[in-house]
Amino acid sequence: MSLGEKLMSIPKWVLYLILIVVASVPLFIKIPVPNTPLEPAIDLYGTLMNIPEGSTVLIASDWTKSTRGESNGHFDALMKILMRKKIKACIYSSGDPQAPQVARDAIGVLNMERKAKGLPPYQRWNDWITVGYFPNAEACANAIANNVRVAFGGKTDYTPEGTSRDVFQSPVLKDIRKVSDFKLMMVITASKTSNITIERVYGKGVDLAMMVTGVMGPESLPYYSSGQLKGLAVGLKGVYDLEQMLESGITPGMSAKWGTVPGFPGDSNIGNGTRYYPTLHFCLTLLILAVIVGNVGMALSRKKAA
Amino acid sequence: MSQLFLQAQPQLNFWNGLNGTTGLWIKILIGLALGVGLIFALMSAPTQTRRPIVAFVTFISGLFYVLYFFFPRPIDRQPGELPLDFVESVSFYIDDAFGVVTDFTAILSGLLLGLGIYSLLHVHVKRIIKAHQNWFFSVVLLVSMFMMTIVGYWDWITRRGEAGASLDDPANWSAINYTKDLMFDGLLQAMDAAMFSIIAFYILSAAYRAFRVRSVEATILLATALIVILSLMGAVEFLWNGMIDGMTGKDPGSVVNNLKLTEISKWLRDTVQGAAIRGIDFGVGIGALAMGLRLWLSLERGTGGGN
Amino acid sequence: MLSQVSSWRGEQYLDTGWVPPAFTLLLCIWVLLNIRRAGTGKDLFIRRIAGLNAIDEAVGRATEMGKPVLMVPGLSDTVNAIVVQALNIFSYVARIAARFSNPILVCCYSAPIFTVGQEVIRDVYNEEGLGDKFDPDSVRFISDRQFAFAAGVSGILLREKAAATFFMGEFYAESLIFAETANSIGAIQIASSTESTQTPFFIAACDYVLIGDEFYAASAYLTRQPVLVGSLVGQDWCKLTVALTVLIGVLANTIQLGPGSHKMITQEKRDAKFVNVEGGPRPITPDDTFMSQLFRKQSDPELVIERPIDPTFVPPADGGGE
Repeated sequence: MSLGEKLMSIPKWVLYLILIVVASVPLFIKIPVPNTPLEPAIDLYGTLMNIPEGSTVLIASDWTKSTRGESNGHFDALMKILMRKKIKACIYSSGDPQAPQVARDAIGVLNMERKAKGLPPYQRWNDWITVGYFPNAEACANAIANNVRVAFGGKTDYTPEGTSRDVFQSPVLKDIRKVSDFKLMMVITASKTSNITIERVYGKGVDLAMMVTGVMGPESLPYYSSGQLKGLAVGLKGVYDLEQMLESGITPGMSAKWGTVPGFPGDSNIGNGTRYYPTLHFCLTLLILAVIVGNVGMALSRKKAA
Repeated sequence: MSQLFLQAQPQLNFWNGLNGTTGLWIKILIGLALGVGLIFALMSAPTQTRRPIVAFVTFISGLFYVLYFFFPRPIDRQPGELPLDFVESVSFYIDDAFGVVTDFTAILSGLLLGLGIYSLLHVHVKRIIKAHQNWFFSVVLLVSMFMMTIVGYWDWITRRGEAGASLDDPANWSAINYTKDLMFDGLLQAMDAAMFSIIAFYILSAAYRAFRVRSVEATILLATALIVILSLMGAVEFLWNGMIDGMTGKDPGSVVNNLKLTEISKWLRDTVQGAAIRGIDFGVGIGALAMGLRLWLSLERGTGGGN
Repeated sequence: MLSQVSSWRGEQYLDTGWVPPAFTLLLCIWVLLNIRRAGTGKDLFIRRIAGLNAIDEAVGRATEMGKPVLMVPGLSDTVNAIVVQALNIFSYVARIAARFSNPILVCCYSAPIFTVGQEVIRDVYNEEGLGDKFDPDSVRFISDRQFAFAAGVSGILLREKAAATFFMGEFYAESLIFAETANSIGAIQIASSTESTQTPFFIAACDYVLIGDEFYAASAYLTRQPVLVGSLVGQDWCKLTVALTVLIGVLANTIQLGPGSHKMITQEKRDAKFVNVEGGPRPITPDDTFMSQLFRKQSDPELVIERPIDPTFVPPADGGGE
C-alpha cells in the first residue's frame, strides 16, 4: 500500500483512539480560550437582563442529559440570570417525558450552589413552578398561544408545605391570563419543538427566544435573522458566550444596540461552556487535520496513479 | 346551544363531573364500556364499510382544525361573555372546544404509552418463552422496566405531603430516593449521554471519509465546512480577526473588515445557508400540506384510505 | 370602542391577518386542482430522482448477497403524514423484496407505527400472492426512546448484516449513528429526513439521499398514481407561488428601501393604525415596508366588543385555570 492509500484508509479505530486522547487533554491542562460573543447570544443576554424583577418567564425545557454538554449549560445560564434578577419561571416540557425531572434536578443543583454561598434558594411554588409534560407538542403550543389558562388548566404543583395546588394559585402564574402576560418565552431544545413553538406562538404578543443545540442552529438562525426571535444561543459556543457575559456583561463595542449591560462579576459563572470549550477546539482541530490527511492521501494516490 | 355540545362549555354538565366523586367514576366506566363496545362493533363491521367509516372519522377530526384556522374567531372575547349572533355562537363553540380537543390528543398520546408497554411485553415475553437468540437481554429489559416503574412511583409517593418538600435537599433522601436517582440520573441519563457521545466519533469518521476534493461541488462543500468549523473556534476567530484588525488599523469603515472570520461565516450562514434552508423548509412544508390534504380527504390510497 | 365590527371579520382576519389564510387556501386550491387535472388522464412529467431509481438496484444487491433489507420509517410518536409517506415507500420496497423472496426488516419507533407497519407489509405480501411467506417478526417494535431505538437498530444492523438500508422519515441526532453503522457493514443506503438539519449527516454517510420534498415526491414517482402525481405538480405550483411572492417582496423592498427611495417617513403603523411619527420624520426601517406589514398583523388594543354577560358565570377565585 502506498503512502497515499494508507493516508486515505486510516482504520476507524485509530481515528477514534486519537479522538479519545485529544478530547482528554483539556481535562489535565487548563487552557483559557479567547472568545467574542456572537450577536444572537448578545441579544439573548440583553433581552434577559432587561426583564423587570418580579416578572414571569415561560420556559419550554425540552432537553435531557443526552445533550447536557450544550442544553444543560444553556439552562444553567438562563436560570442563573433569572435567580439573580428575581424573575419567576414557569417550566413545561413537550419534547421528552424525562425533561421535567431533568429540569428539576438542574434547578436543585443550582440551589445547592446558592445554599453553599448563603443565598436563599430559588423556591418552588413562589419563584418557579413546573406544569409537567405535554405529550403532543403541536397541541400544547396551540393551546398556550390561544388560551394559556386552558393549556395549563388542572395542572398542580407542590407548595413549600408539600401540598398540591392549582398552578394558577401560585405567585408565579396568578397574574397570567394569556401568553402575552409572560415577559418572555424561552425554548431550550434539541428537537423540533423550536419550530413548532415559533409556528404557533409567534405573533401572539410574547417575545420569543431560544437556546438550541449546535445541530439545530442553522435551522433556527433564519428565525433570528427575520426578527421572530429576540435572541438565540447556539450550541456550546452559545453557552460559552453566555457564561462570558454573565461574568463581564455586555461591554461598549460588543453591540451597538445594547451599549453596556452589567454582568455578575465574581459570581459562580463558570459552567459547561468554560469547561468544554477548549475540548471543542481540540476536537475540531483533529477534525480538520483528519480531513486534510484524507485529501493529501487522495492527492498522493492520484499522482501515483497518473 | 344544543345540549349535545355542552361539553365545550367550561361548566359542570352531563359530560363531566367533579374530581373524585362517584358520579365521575360511573361516567368514566360507562364511557370505557361504550368505547370498548364501539371497538368490537367496528371490528365486526363488514369490510366494505370500513373505508367509509375511516374516511368519515378522519374528515371530522381534521375538519375541526380547518374550522379553527379559517372560521372567524371571536374578537376580544372576555370570560363569561355571551355571543352576539349565530356566527359568534359557532366561533365561541369552536374556541371552547379547542381545550377539549387538546385533551383528546393528550389522552390519545397517553394511550399510546400503554400500547407501547403492551407491545414491548408481547414481543419480549414471547422471546423469553420461546428462548430465542439473546433472550437474556429481553429479561434484562423487562426487569429494568418494572424496577424503574416501581422505584419511580415509590419515589413520587415519598415526595407527596409535607415531608416531600424537604426532599429537595439530597441530605434528606431515603434509600428509595437514592435508588431512583441512581436509576434515572446514574443509569438512564448517563446511557442516553453515552449514546449521543458516540456521534462525535461518527462525525470524525464521516468527515474524514466524505470531505474529499472529488469534484467542484465537493470542494465548495469542503471549503465552506472548514470556514464554519473554524468560526466555532474562539481562539482561531480571535487570531484571524486580530490579524485583519492589524491590517486595517481597527478602522471600522475599511472594506478589508469583510474578510474577518466572523463576517465570512456570518455571510455564509445568513445568505447561503439560510436561503437554502428556507427553500428546503418551504418545500417540506408544502409537501406536508399536500400530504395532510390527501389524508384528510382520504385521497391517499394504501396506508391511509386505501384497501 | 367599536362594537359595530361584523363578527364575520374574525380576530385572525383583522388588519392584514387575512393574508396567511388566503395564501394557505390558494396553495390548497393548487394542489386540489392538479389532483383533478391528473385524474382526467393528463400525462404529467416528474424529473428523475436518483435515490428512488436506486431502490431496485439496492434490493437486487441484497438478494444477490442473501442478506436482508432493513427499513426504518423514522422517529415519530404517532402515525402522521411523514410516517404514512415512509410506509408508502417501504410498501414499494417490500413488494420488490417479496418478489425476489428477500427477507426484510422494518424497525418501528412506536407501537402505532408498528401496528400500521405490520398491516401494510402484510397487505403487500398478500397482494403479491405470497401471504404465507410474510414473517410477522420482520416488522419489529424496538423502543420509543430515541437512543434506545438507535442502539437497537444498530445492533440489528451489525448482527443481521443488512445489505440495503432505507432510512426515511423523521430523524434526529441518531441519523448519523444509523448511517455510519450501516456504512461500516458495507450496506447500500438510501435515506431521507424531513429535518433539514439531519440531511447533511445523511449526505456525508449515505449513498443516496432524498433532500427536502423529494421524500414527499417519492410515492408519486414510484407508483405514478394520478392523485399523487397531480398532488406533486400542485406542490410545484405552490413553490412557484412562493417564489413569486419572494420576488415581489424583493422588488417592493428594493423600491422602498433601495437607493432613490424616500428614506424618511412621516407616518408609521402602530396598533393597526397609521399615525404620525412622534418627533417628526424618521428614516424608514424594514418593519415599515409594505411587505413586512402585509405579513405581520398588528392588533388594535382599542378594539373592544361589547357583549352581554352570562348571568350564571362565576369568575374563577384567586387564579385557577378554566
